[in-house]
Amino acid sequence: MSMTTTRPMPSAPNREDIGQTWEYLQNGISKIMINLQEGMDMATYMGIYTAVHNFCTSQKAVGLGNSGAVGQAHRGGNDTPSPSQESHADLGQAHLLGEDLYKKLKEYLNNHLHGLYEQSKGHADEALLAFYIREWNRYTVAAKYIHHLFRYLNRHWVKREMDEGKKNTYDVYTLHLYQWRTEFFTLVNKKVMDAVLMLVEKQRNGETIEHRQIKQVVDSFVSLGLDEHDATKSTLDTYRYHFEKPFLAATEEFYKAESKQFVAENSVVEYMKKAEARLAEEEERVRMYLHNDIALPLKKTCNKALIADHSAMLRDEFQVLLDNDREEDMARMYNLLSRIPDGLEPLRQKFEAHVRNAGLNAVAKVASDAEKLEPKVYVEALLETHTRYQGLVKRAFADEPEFTRSLDNACREFVNRNEICKAGSSKSPELLAKYTDVLLRKSGAGVEEAELDATLTQIMTVFKYIEDKDVFQKFYSRMLARRLVHSNSSSDDAETSMISKLKEACGFEYTNKLQRMFQDMQISKDLNTGFREHTKGLQSEKQPLDSTYSILGTSFWPLTPPNTTFNPPAEIQTDIDRFTLFYKNKHEGRKLSWLWQLCKGELKTGYCRQSKTPFTFQVSVYQMAILLMFNSKDAHSYDDIASVTQLTSEVLDAALGILLKAKVLLMKPEGEKPGPGKMFHLNYDFKSKKIRVNLNVGTKTEQKQEEADTNKTIEEDRQMVLQSAIVRIMKARKKMKHNLLITECITQIRSRFVPKVSDIKKCIEILLDKEYLERLEDDELGYLA
Amino acid sequence: MGESEAPPAANYIRLQSNDNVKIDVEKAVAERSLLIKNMLEDLGPNAEGQTIPIPNVTEPVLRKVIEWCEHHRHDPPATNEDESDNRKKTTDIDEWDQKFMQVDQEMLFEIILASNYLDIKALLDVGCKTVANMIKGKSPEEIRKTFNITNDFTPEEEEQIRRENEWAEDR
Repeated sequence: MSMTTTRPMPSAPNREDIGQTWEYLQNGISKIMINLQEGMDMATYMGIYTAVHNFCTSQKAVGLGNSGAVGQAHRGGNDTPSPSQESHADLGQAHLLGEDLYKKLKEYLNNHLHGLYEQSKGHADEALLAFYIREWNRYTVAAKYIHHLFRYLNRHWVKREMDEGKKNTYDVYTLHLYQWRTEFFTLVNKKVMDAVLMLVEKQRNGETIEHRQIKQVVDSFVSLGLDEHDATKSTLDTYRYHFEKPFLAATEEFYKAESKQFVAENSVVEYMKKAEARLAEEEERVRMYLHNDIALPLKKTCNKALIADHSAMLRDEFQVLLDNDREEDMARMYNLLSRIPDGLEPLRQKFEAHVRNAGLNAVAKVASDAEKLEPKVYVEALLETHTRYQGLVKRAFADEPEFTRSLDNACREFVNRNEICKAGSSKSPELLAKYTDVLLRKSGAGVEEAELDATLTQIMTVFKYIEDKDVFQKFYSRMLARRLVHSNSSSDDAETSMISKLKEACGFEYTNKLQRMFQDMQISKDLNTGFREHTKGLQSEKQPLDSTYSILGTSFWPLTPPNTTFNPPAEIQTDIDRFTLFYKNKHEGRKLSWLWQLCKGELKTGYCRQSKTPFTFQVSVYQMAILLMFNSKDAHSYDDIASVTQLTSEVLDAALGILLKAKVLLMKPEGEKPGPGKMFHLNYDFKSKKIRVNLNVGTKTEQKQEEADTNKTIEEDRQMVLQSAIVRIMKARKKMKHNLLITECITQIRSRFVPKVSDIKKCIEILLDKEYLERLEDDELGYLA
Repeated sequence: MGESEAPPAANYIRLQSNDNVKIDVEKAVAERSLLIKNMLEDLGPNAEGQTIPIPNVTEPVLRKVIEWCEHHRHDPPATNEDESDNRKKTTDIDEWDQKFMQVDQEMLFEIILASNYLDIKALLDVGCKTVANMIKGKSPEEIRKTFNITNDFTPEEEEQIRRENEWAEDR
């Protein structure tokens, strides 16, 4: 370092002379303000700091130093003040002296800023922007220096002024900002902002701009947000008023004009792409060079100009997009309209109507022959529509819950009210239950476990929309009973899985009976093992029968006693008696009634001439009783058979019919139907390709009968459900208005089926008659215990 | 001027007292003075190696101040401006600082002035507390004696002051 550059400053000023001191300080401040890039040395820095310090402490320092060190308490005057007065007087002095410096500094800044304003007049547009930024940067760096150099003033005089609540006194840095704002910014901000907006418009029109400049302007405007009441706080008011407001106005104007023109020349889809791109661009703009505070209002402004102002046009296009499966464009429309309030509701309505129609059309397509309609085809038609539009909701509508609700509404409509359901909504649950039965029944075509479970899950999708869940339950439990009794269920796992799915959807009560049916089967299995052990221990000359018994709880199984009398053959009677005794020993007081129509067995032939290996006939117990008669005689008359078996003619005719059809028995004289007067002969020449011959086959008419029965019981059961619901509610409430009771009743029942108000009223009447309820005054009902 | 001598070691800066004595101090220690800290920050690397004139402090005082800074180099940095009431009110002084302040009155006041000038808040506090402790519990006459002050009140003036401050009397 050379000697010549070390002392650019005059030597230290007289500490008590404001004129000298200021002259010295101004010299330094000017260097900082104008020539800081040339650097500054420590001596100058320390010189300025010391000058400020010395000026502010001149009186006080003398007083304190002298009194302590030299022991002269006097401050010179003959009226020497007491210690308290002395300190007060000292502060008073410091007060005045600090204020002088502060005022001088403020004056200096004002001069400097006026000079800047004069210079700024020579610039416009980008040049003005550059000028503003350059001067701002220079000014704020200098402000930081001067703030430090005047720290002694800040610590004492300024602090005291502020502590005393004096307005318009700020620390030195804030003073700089404040003066910049009042003496320069207010005069040039409009012109600066014009230049900013011009640049932004250039960029929106595709030109490349120097956006760092804008960022710096933003930062400057933000820095000028001084809180008038608390200098330590800053506000965004200045920035919002002078930057955001004009920026948003210009943005709105730009996009209003642009979108108007674009729409006139392009398709709606093209416009959506354009709007999407513009919105993304504006978000990027915030990230690149704007203050985050503008993000939300800018988004709102753009949403309004680009979307809300064109929302009617967009919505009109939605049906077209739906009809043509334009998924991507629908997603685009969803994204745009989701940005404005209430933008999506019209879309949802259109979507719902569209899905409903699609579902109805799909059903109509398969419904041409309702009688022969396969449950599978029907359910798949429903599922296909649901799957398709669920996919659309997922992919195009962001899986939004409200759209899912529209989808659900539409599905509920077309599942419960379509061409197949014209007669009544119970057709959907019936077909669904049947399809489930098909899936769960043992069949030739083995279905993979995983695939089966997936299909069952799909069944549940449709089930969710079914209103008459009680109908499903009824059909399901009947078919489950059949599967269990005939043990032709495809797998226990699949059955359990289905029941747990139903339980999840409808609760414990809904599947309680189904689960009990399963339990009964398990208990029966154990019981049979016990019985077998028991018979083994008995001394018996005859070989015991290989029998299996199922004990089915009356209240859980949807089964009715046989509609015929029956006298079981002696060959099985012994075993039956033994089992009955065994069971009664185990469970005293229980009543066993035999469901003969469900019993079956196997018979081995020993008489067939045509075959070396004996045939095995799989027969119903009725057929068994008939066939066993031929052990003693080759021919029996119709009346003989009827009197031995005790079967009613209807049941007997059906059983004989199958035996005749299979040519196990031959009827003489030949004729259409078995009946009194006919003779039945054992056919020694019986032939069959299979060793095992299944003769236990139901007839079509039986099935039809069962369906009709099921449907009939539904109405009766619903009455019971309604009545018990009413009693339950009334028991809890004691008193209730008629109308409220009906509403409450509907709420409770709705998960099972949708009750008709007239039915509820009827049930209330019945309960009144039965004296469960009484009429009170004012349309109120009371509960009678 | 000592521009020709060897520059201070790395991480050291060189201070020059009022009476032209140069003292090398570790930068981190010197930065207990907010004045020096701010200056080094402001001037940046361009000013590195320059001697820092401390025109208001004499060598013995400066050394004393540096001693204090050395000892307190690891104290948490003074929270700027913000005075915790706690520190302001209590006159407790930690043991080391008490010993450090066992100096003659002239030195004590010089330290207070220097710490005020150099902007070392914590040291200024210790100094002021020391003086406060010298006053605490003493009668006016004792205080006058302690600080070698001549009583220049008239008896009437003194009586008036006593009356005005009666509320503060310790009874």
